Amino acid sequence: MSALTFTLKTQPKQSVDMSPITPDLLADKSLAEIQAIPLQCGNQQLRADALFEITGSDSSQLVIHSSEKLNYLGAKLGLKLKSGNLTIHGNTGAYLGLQMKSGAITLHGNAEAFAACEMAGGLLHVHGNVGDFLGGALPGNRKGMRGGTVIITGNAGDRAGDQMRRGMILIEGNVGSYCASRMLAGTIGVMGKMGVYLGFGMRRGTLLLFNSPALSPTIQDCGSHTLPFLKLMFKSMRGLPSKFAQLENNRVRRFAGDAAVDGKGEILVFGE
Amino acid sequence: MLTKLTGGKVYDPANKIDGQIRDIYIRDGRIVERPLEHEPVNQEYNLSGKIVMAGAIDMHTHIGGGKVNIARMLLPEDHRGDPVAHTELCRAGCGHVAPSTLTTGYRYAEMGYTAGFEPAVLPINARQAHLEMGDTPIIDKGGYAMLGSDDLLLRMMAAKRDQNAINDYVAWTMHASQAMGIKVVNAGGISAFKFNQRFLDLDEQNSHYQVTPREVLNTLSRAVYELGVPHPLHVHGNNLGVPGNVETTLNTMAGVEGYPIHLTHIQFHSYGTEGDRKFSSGAARIAEAINQRKNVSADVGQILFGQTVTASGDNMSQFRNAHLGSPHKWVCMDIECDAGCGVVPFKYKDQNFVNALQWAIGLEIFLLVDDPWRIFLTTDHPNGAPFTSYPHLIKLLMDKTFRNDVFSRISPDAQAMSTLASIDREYSLYEIAIMTRAGAAKLVGLHDRGHLGAGAGADITVYTDQPDREAMFAKPDYVFKDGELVVKDGQVVKVTWGATHTVKPEFDRGIEKEIKKYFDAYHTVNMEHVKVTDQHIADDGRGRVQVHECKGRREKTTA
Repeated sequence: MSALTFTLKTQPKQSVDMSPITPDLLADKSLAEIQAIPLQCGNQQLRADALFEITGSDSSQLVIHSSEKLNYLGAKLGLKLKSGNLTIHGNTGAYLGLQMKSGAITLHGNAEAFAACEMAGGLLHVHGNVGDFLGGALPGNRKGMRGGTVIITGNAGDRAGDQMRRGMILIEGNVGSYCASRMLAGTIGVMGKMGVYLGFGMRRGTLLLFNSPALSPTIQDCGSHTLPFLKLMFKSMRGLPSKFAQLENNRVRRFAGDAAVDGKGEILVFGE
Repeated sequence: MLTKLTGGKVYDPANKIDGQIRDIYIRDGRIVERPLEHEPVNQEYNLSGKIVMAGAIDMHTHIGGGKVNIARMLLPEDHRGDPVAHTELCRAGCGHVAPSTLTTGYRYAEMGYTAGFEPAVLPINARQAHLEMGDTPIIDKGGYAMLGSDDLLLRMMAAKRDQNAINDYVAWTMHASQAMGIKVVNAGGISAFKFNQRFLDLDEQNSHYQVTPREVLNTLSRAVYELGVPHPLHVHGNNLGVPGNVETTLNTMAGVEGYPIHLTHIQFHSYGTEGDRKFSSGAARIAEAINQRKNVSADVGQILFGQTVTASGDNMSQFRNAHLGSPHKWVCMDIECDAGCGVVPFKYKDQNFVNALQWAIGLEIFLLVDDPWRIFLTTDHPNGAPFTSYPHLIKLLMDKTFRNDVFSRISPDAQAMSTLASIDREYSLYEIAIMTRAGAAKLVGLHDRGHLGAGAGADITVYTDQPDREAMFAKPDYVFKDGELVVKDGQVVKVTWGATHTVKPEFDRGIEKEIKKYFDAYHTVNMEHVKVTDQHIADDGRGRVQVHECKGRREKTTA
C-alpha cells in the first residue's frame, strides 16, 4: 500500500484548518469520504479535494505537501490510535502537532508559531526552523507541552518552551529571547546561541546549553560540577535522530533560577 | 400595521388570565384592544393549540460589567469549547458559562426571554456594564447599581448623616449609573475585607467605618422606599455559602423594619449546621419566613450540576471559596476602592454531598414558598448554572416524577438530609408565568412588560404544549419583541435591539457639591465622567433608555 498523499493543487489564499486530516481521523475512511471532508479555509468551507490532489491509500503513513497557509497540521495525532506517521514536505503554518499524543510528525521545512503546542507525547522532528512559542500553551492556558520529544535541526523563535510542563525539546540551532520562560518542568537543549531573558520566570526544569548565556540577576551561578545523572540522560537520548545523541561530557557549569519565582530551575552549560 | 395572534391559549397572570383562548392584537410594537371590525389585519398567526405568554424576564443575571469580562478572560477553554459560527443574521460568538454579549442576546431570545437585568452595576463601572449590555441584542436590559460597600456611603453613615442626604446620594447614583434599582452585596463586607476582616455578621462592625451590615441594610432599604423606587432593595446577604447562614438571612429579613427587600440567590444563604457534616438545609425555615413576611421577596439562585463559573462582587466569600474552584484558578480584585470582585470557576457535582444538598435546598425553597409572586426563577447566571439551563429547571419544578428521578441519583448522604422527595407540589404553567413574567415585571417595576393587556409592549412568547416541559421551554415556536417576530422555531429570524430600563427618582441636586468634593479628593476620575447619560446609551442608534415611573418621593417615614 502506498502512503496516502495530499498535494496542494494551488496555494490557498487564506489559512486552512488541517486538524481533520490526521492518520487517526482518516483511518476508517474511503477515498471518496476523504475527498469530501470539509476544510475550513478562511471564512468558507471547502472539500478536501478542492484544495488537494489526493493519492495513495495507507492513511497510517500520511504525507502532506504543505504551505505556510496550512495550520493545525497533525493536531491531536495519536489521540485515538496509538500510532500513525505524518510526513510533511514544505513549510507549515501555526500549531503544528497541537496536543499530539503519540506517533511521529516529520517536517521537511519551516513551521510558524506554536509548534508542539500542549504536546503530550510522540516525536516531532522538524528539519528546518520554527516560530515563537515552541512547546507553549494555547493562549490563556497555564500549561504548555507535557510530554514527548521535539527535535529542531534549525532555529526556534522567542519563548521556546514557555510554560512547558514535561517532555524534551532539543534545538540544534539558535533560539530567540525568553527561552524557557515560565517553564514548569521538562528539558530543553540548545546547541546554538540564545537571545536575552533566558529562563525568565523559570520555576523548575532543566536547560542544556553549549554557549554562555547572558543571565538575569535572579539566576545564580552555582559553580562547575560533574553530574552523574547526565550520563543517564545522555543514555536516554542515544536512539534519537539528533546531534544530542552523541553527548558524552558530563562536566557542566550550573546556574539555578529564576529566584523571582520558585528558583528550582537548573541551567547547565557545557564546555566551561 | 396590525398583527393578530389568533386562538392561542393565553397565560397572563397580571390580568388573571389562566389558560383561556384569546386573540391578541399588536400595533406599532404595542398590544392593543380588539380593533373595529372594518380595520384590516395585516398579518395573522394562527396559534390554535399553542401556549401564549408574555416574554420572560430574568430579573437577576450577570450579563454585563467588569466581572463577566474577567470570567470570560479567565476561561479561554469555555470559549474554545463552545464556538458559535456566524449566520446570515447573527454574528459569531462563543462561550457556554460566560458567553459573549451577542451570543447571550441570541440565546436568551431563542429561549423566549425578552429582558434580563444585570444585578451588579458598580456605579464607577456603569459605563462598561451599559456598553456590554448595549452590545447584547434583542432583549431589554437594565441594572441595579451596587451600593453598600461604597466608600462615600459608608463615610456618610459613619458621620451619622441625615437620611435625606443619603437618599439624595442614592438617587444621584441611580441617575449617574442609569439603574433600575439598588443592590447591596455583602453589606459593608466588601469594604471590611479591605481592612482584613474575613467574616462579617449582621451586627458586626466594619473595623474602619464602625458601621454594621444591619445599619447599611436599614439605611438603604429605607432610602429606596422613600425615593419611591419600585424595585425593593436587592440584597445579596452576608455570609454567602457559610453553613449556619440561615440565621443571618432570617435576621436580615427581620432587621429591615418592614421596608421591602428582595433577597437574591437565597439558596446560597439557606444553610444550617445540623447533621454529621454540619451542613444542612435551612429551606423550610426560610420558606416559612418568606410566607409570613409580605415585605420580603426572593429569587432562588438554583444550582444545577455541571461546569460553571461564579462571578460575584462579594470578594469576601469568593476569597473564602477560591480554593474550591475547578479548574483551579481564580481572581479577586478591588475596583476603584468602591467595591470588589471575585471570579472562581466551579463544577457542581451530583455525587458531592455539599453540591447535591445545595441543589436540593434550592428546589425545596421553590416548592415551599407559597406565593409565586414573591419567589423568582433564577440560577444567578452564571453562579449556579448558565441561563441556558432554565428549561431544565422549569421541568424540575413542573414534573415531580422527573424531579424525584434526578433526586434518587444524587449523593445518598444528601438525599438523607433533604425532604425534597416528600414534597408533592408541581408548578402549573400559570405559576411559571407569574414567576418568570408577571411577578418579575412587577418586582422590577416594569409597568408595560410581563403582561399581555392593552398598552403592554408586545413581548410575546409562543410555545407548543408538550409533556416534556424542558423541550417545550427550550424551543418556543415564536418570540415577538416589541411586536416584531425575532425567533421562529427556536431560531433567531430577526435581530433587533432592546431598550435599557431605568428609573429616575427625584432628588436635591445640592448633593452633587458634596459628591464632587469627594471625587476630587479620592477618585481617579472626574465626577462628570462617571455619569452615563441617555445619549451615551442611545449613541450608536441601537439602544434607547426607557424611564419607568417612580412612586414619587415620600416624606421621611420616621424622624
